[in-house]
This record gives sequence, structure tokens and C-alpha cells, in this order.
Amino acid sequence: MSLRTANPIMRSAAWRISLWASLAFAIGTMLAFTMLHRFVASDIQRRSDAWLSGEVGVMGDVAARTPKDRLYGRVVGEVAELASREVPSRQRSSGNENDAVFFLQAGDSGPATLWVGSGDGTANLAAIRSTRVSRDVPFDLRVQGFSIPFRVASVRVGDGSNIYLGLSERDELHVLRNLRVRFFALWLAMVLLGFVIVFYTTRRMLGRVSEITEAASRIGQSDLSSRVPDTRGKDEIGHLGRTLNHMLDRIESTVHQLHTITDSLAHDLRSPLTAVRGKLETALASGMVEDHSESIVSAIDELDRLTEFLNTSLDVAEAKADALRLSRSEVDLGELVRSVIDLYEPSMSDKGLAVQIRSVGSIKVLADPGLLHRVIANLLDNALKHLPASCSVCISLQIDGHMAVLSVEDDGPGFEAEIDRHLFQRRVKGRASRGHGLGLAFVEAVVRVHGGSVTAVNRSEGGAQIKLSLPLCGARTQEEPQSLDLVGSSS
Amino acid sequence: MRLLLVEDELEIQSFVKQSLAGAGYEVHTAEDGRAAALLAAKHVYQGMIVDLGLPDQDGIDLILQMRKSGVTSPVLILSARRSVDDRVKGLELGGDDYLTKPFAIAELLARMRNLLRRNAPPTEDSTRLRVRDLEIDTLRRRATRGDEVLNLSPQEFVLLEYLCRNAGRTVTRSMLMTEVWGMRFQPDTNVVDVHIYRLRGKIDTEGREPLIKTLRGIGYVLKDR
Repeated sequence: MSLRTANPIMRSAAWRISLWASLAFAIGTMLAFTMLHRFVASDIQRRSDAWLSGEVGVMGDVAARTPKDRLYGRVVGEVAELASREVPSRQRSSGNENDAVFFLQAGDSGPATLWVGSGDGTANLAAIRSTRVSRDVPFDLRVQGFSIPFRVASVRVGDGSNIYLGLSERDELHVLRNLRVRFFALWLAMVLLGFVIVFYTTRRMLGRVSEITEAASRIGQSDLSSRVPDTRGKDEIGHLGRTLNHMLDRIESTVHQLHTITDSLAHDLRSPLTAVRGKLETALASGMVEDHSESIVSAIDELDRLTEFLNTSLDVAEAKADALRLSRSEVDLGELVRSVIDLYEPSMSDKGLAVQIRSVGSIKVLADPGLLHRVIANLLDNALKHLPASCSVCISLQIDGHMAVLSVEDDGPGFEAEIDRHLFQRRVKGRASRGHGLGLAFVEAVVRVHGGSVTAVNRSEGGAQIKLSLPLCGARTQEEPQSLDLVGSSS
Repeated sequence: MRLLLVEDELEIQSFVKQSLAGAGYEVHTAEDGRAAALLAAKHVYQGMIVDLGLPDQDGIDLILQMRKSGVTSPVLILSARRSVDDRVKGLELGGDDYLTKPFAIAELLARMRNLLRRNAPPTEDSTRLRVRDLEIDTLRRRATRGDEVLNLSPQEFVLLEYLCRNAGRTVTRSMLMTEVWGMRFQPDTNVVDVHIYRLRGKIDTEGREPLIKTLRGIGYVLKDR
């Protein structure tokens, strides 16, 4: 199991931001420390070099002035011993204190004339002779048997021999190691603390953003009257919330305005339609206009079509503006489709059309059942109007991810090429169509308002296919596959 | 039976009043909410027809106000609005009904009749219905005409039962859509008519007197005389 999927925190933006911020902080402090470390190291080096040069100069003087007799070795040895006790910032190490410093006088060849330090000094002499160095500046010396190098300064005395003073770099390295250990502990603590602080603050910030996002998506789905939480903060996020709310105010007022317009339009047209229809009906029922009854009947039919057209136009207009009023409830799509097919089946079989439905288990959507009835009815009306006899229509219901997919396929002539592109636009219809051209525009508008989508294509094997997808109810459905349930047409 | 009709559009008021009178009701009319409230305080009405868009107040407010003052008679709400108000739905649950404009007079009469029947003591709501020589048994889902057993699909049976319960009265296509199929819209094609033709093919066979009569432009009627 990867960490990525294990923990939702690790996928959050707060986690990533604090990770990157801590990384930048860690690299920055590390660089700063490296510079500091180099500075401290070179400073310590410079101090010990100065001491070495000074001491070795004194040794040279003493060696030059002391007569070369029996006492020479003792005098110079004493002075060297004293000097070794004055090592700067020295730390008393356990064991022999003398192993930190050595004093050596030797000619260019032959054994050492004088040696002060631990051991017999042959290894030191061999190391010095094998190192090609300029005699004026102190140099590093690696001696066999010592893990830590010596810093050595030299001076040439009158008799042609050299005096060497060596100081172990142990103390210097010890100081630097201490510095590094302490810095590293501090650095780790700082980075961790920084990470925690950054993570906590960004998480709180982004938590407010995701609250706003959730509220906004709720508003998008259901009611326009609620608002995102106003945190009253003066920062960018508070500003974001207020901007969104301001925008929602405007959208709500626009939608409200649209409702007022469509309502008053509907009202103003419906009242005269009602009066006209009523009068025609009374005239027809009175039986006094026997001769004109045919024209009155067709006038009533036309009025009914006009009313239906008015309703559908306004519905499509509202749906296009995302302002269609829905009364949603949990709907079993299969049952709903079957009930509409029950209504259409006799007409279809009269026309020689077969209709069948295939569905997998129960598919529930949260939708306005009245509008969905009309959507399915529109699709079947289309089939009735456009398909030649002996075609068949197959409605299948499936689940695809979080969507319920309703597909209506036929084996008819398919869509006309020239209207294919504009199928879902208002008033687009085939040449032979007698309808008002709102059918598919209505279907598309209603499905879109429910958060779904519609596609229409000509199938490669001939015939048309219209596919509707609608979000499943709470995306909760029985997952277990069920056998195909076939309801054949009775024809 | 006395009814109160509250409608500000005089044209509509006149033909609704005329057809209600034609169906045997005594009708009082009011043009606004104030007049309606005065009438309702003076007389007892068995039923009311209220338009939602009154000049002085909202029809729903009028209904609620009358309910508060103790008027219990059922109301048929007329609405020219596009969507059904939640408050209308509330009233519908409370036993009232609504009709969107434009409507067929037959439907208005049928709904009014249903409302009034709801308030009346229940008549023997028999499981056996008889219209002339047509007989249906709603329990056993069996229909006969004369001695012949009719072979009906479940849907045809429901349709016939509805026609029988409304025998002698006009039923419109939209009433059939609502009552038989439970859908409130007008299909673009004549699907309801096809159902009726099929049913007629099984009931009104050769040599029998046709029972289902088409009223062109209006609907259908199952003749009981």
C-alpha cells in the first residue's frame, strides 16, 4: 500500500506546501551553516598557525643561542616542554598529554638530533622528509600511527638543521565536530518545528477554502438562496468568500428576474388562451354550431399545441439559464422508463416499431420525475415520428462510474447529416418533421439541469443513438451485478 | 349545491360559471379576494374555485385566511403560473386540488365532482362496477360484456375501470394521463388515443352497440344510457 493512497492528509495542498517550504528552509540554513563552518575552521587554523610560527621562532632563537654542549639537549628540551604546555584552547585529553605536541630538531639527513614528544619520533621524521613543503608556512602532516594529522611549523637554525614544532589538529577537529553536532540537532528541530507551523497554518487557511468550496458546490446543486460561510477575515480568503456571496446575490436576483419574466409571460398568455379555449369548448358542447364543429375541434387542438409549446419553450429557456425549478425525489430510472414505455407501446406496435428495455438491477437517481417522464416521452415521440415501420428501439440502462446511463438506440435511418451538429439547439428539426423542434433541446436542457449530459450520434451499424447520463442518487447503488432483465415488446 | 367562483378575468369567469350552472350547480362569483371573503362569511358553500392571481391578494392567502375563519369546504385552485407553489402542494395534501390554465371544462367539472365526493359520506365503493351490459370486478381483475369475458391487459383494465367509475361523464386526455398513467403532461403524439382505440376494439366488438364515444376536441365518454 503506497503512502499516497494511505493518507488523505498527504494528498492535501497543505502537506505539499509545508513539505516544499521546509525543504527550502532546510537547504537555506544548511548553506548558511556550511559558510559559517568554513569561516570558523579557517579562523581556528589561522590562530594555531600564528602560535606555531611564534613558538618555533622562539625555539630557533633558543637553539641558536644555546652552546652546543652537553646541556644543549636539556635546555632546548625544557623550553619545548614548557611551550607544549601553552597550547592554545587545548583540551586535556586522557592519556599522555604530550601526544598533542612534538618538537624535533634534525638535519637534512641522519637521525633526529633532538626529540621531545611521545614515541621516538622516527615516524614523524620520516613523514617530514617525505613531504615536500615550503619551509616558511605551516603545513599539514600525516604521521603513520596517528589518525589525526599534525600541523607543523619549521625554522632553519644556524648549524643547517631544522627545528620542527608539530601540534595535533585533534582539538581543532573536536571543536568543529561539536559545532556540527550541535548545529545538526538544532537544524533538525528547527526544520521539524517549521514544518509543523507551516502545515498547521496552511491547513487552517485551506480548510476555510474547502469549506467555501463545499458550500459553493452545495449551492450549485440545490438552492441558490444559501451562501458560503463568511469568515469575516480581512485576508484573501475572507475576500474570496465575500466575492462569491456577492456573485451569488447577483445570480439569485437574475434567476429571480427570469422567473418573474417567464411567470408573467406564461400568465399573460395563459389567461387569454383559457378564455378562448373555454368559449370554443362551450360552443362545441352546446351543439349549436354543428356545421363548424370540425373547425372548432381543430382550433382547440391548435390551442393545446400552442400551450404545450409555450410551456416547453419556457422550460427550455429556464433550463438553459440553469433556472429550471426542480422538485427532486429519489426515482428508480428503470421503473420510470417502463411506465413511459407502457404508455407508448401500443402506438409503437401500431406503427410496426418494436421497443425493448434492458436494465441492470435498480438504478436510482435524484431527479424531478415529472420532467424525466417528459424527457423519455420526448425521445419516444421522436422515434414514433421519424422511424419507418419495422424498426426497433432499444432502451438500455447501465451504471458507469457515478452516472446512470440511459441509451436509446434504433436501427432507423439515423439523424440527417445537416442537422446532426445542431441537434440540441432550439427549433432545429428535420425537413420532414412536423414538430415544433423543441424536443431534443428540452431533453438536453433537463438532463443538464440535473447535472448530466446528452450525446447523440449515428451508430456505425446504422441508426441513431441518444445517450443520457444522470448522476446516481448519492452515488450509492448495489454494486453486485445482476442478470440482464429483458422486457420484450409484445409485438 | 352552491359553489363560490373567485376569478378576476371576466371572460373566464363567465364560461366557467355557465358550464358549472349547466352541470346543475348554483354558482356565486367574486372578482377579488375581499368580495370572496365577504361572500364566504355570508353563505355556506359546498365547494370553491379560486384563481391564484387575484388583483388584491394572492389566492393562496385568501384560501388560508378563509380556512382560518372556519371555512372547510374543498377548494379547486386555478393557476396560470408555471410552477406549482409549495403552498399549493400543501393545500393539495390537505385535500384540495389544482388545475393549470388553460384547462378543459370537462376536467374542471370532473375535479370539482371528485372534490365534492371526497367530502360527502362514502358511497358503496363497490369492487363490482356495472355500466349497462359491461361489468367489471376490480378484485378479481375480470371484465365481461354480456356473457363474453374480455381479455384485457392490466393497463387496459385500469383504463376501463377509470372510464366505468366516470361513466356518463366526459374524461379528457389529460385526466387519463394523470389518473391512469400518473403523469402530468401532454404527449406530442396521440398515444392516449391509441390506448382507447385498442380498448374499444376489445369492448365494442362487431354487432354490439359502441360504449366508448369520442367527443372530438374534448375527450371520451363511456355511455351509461
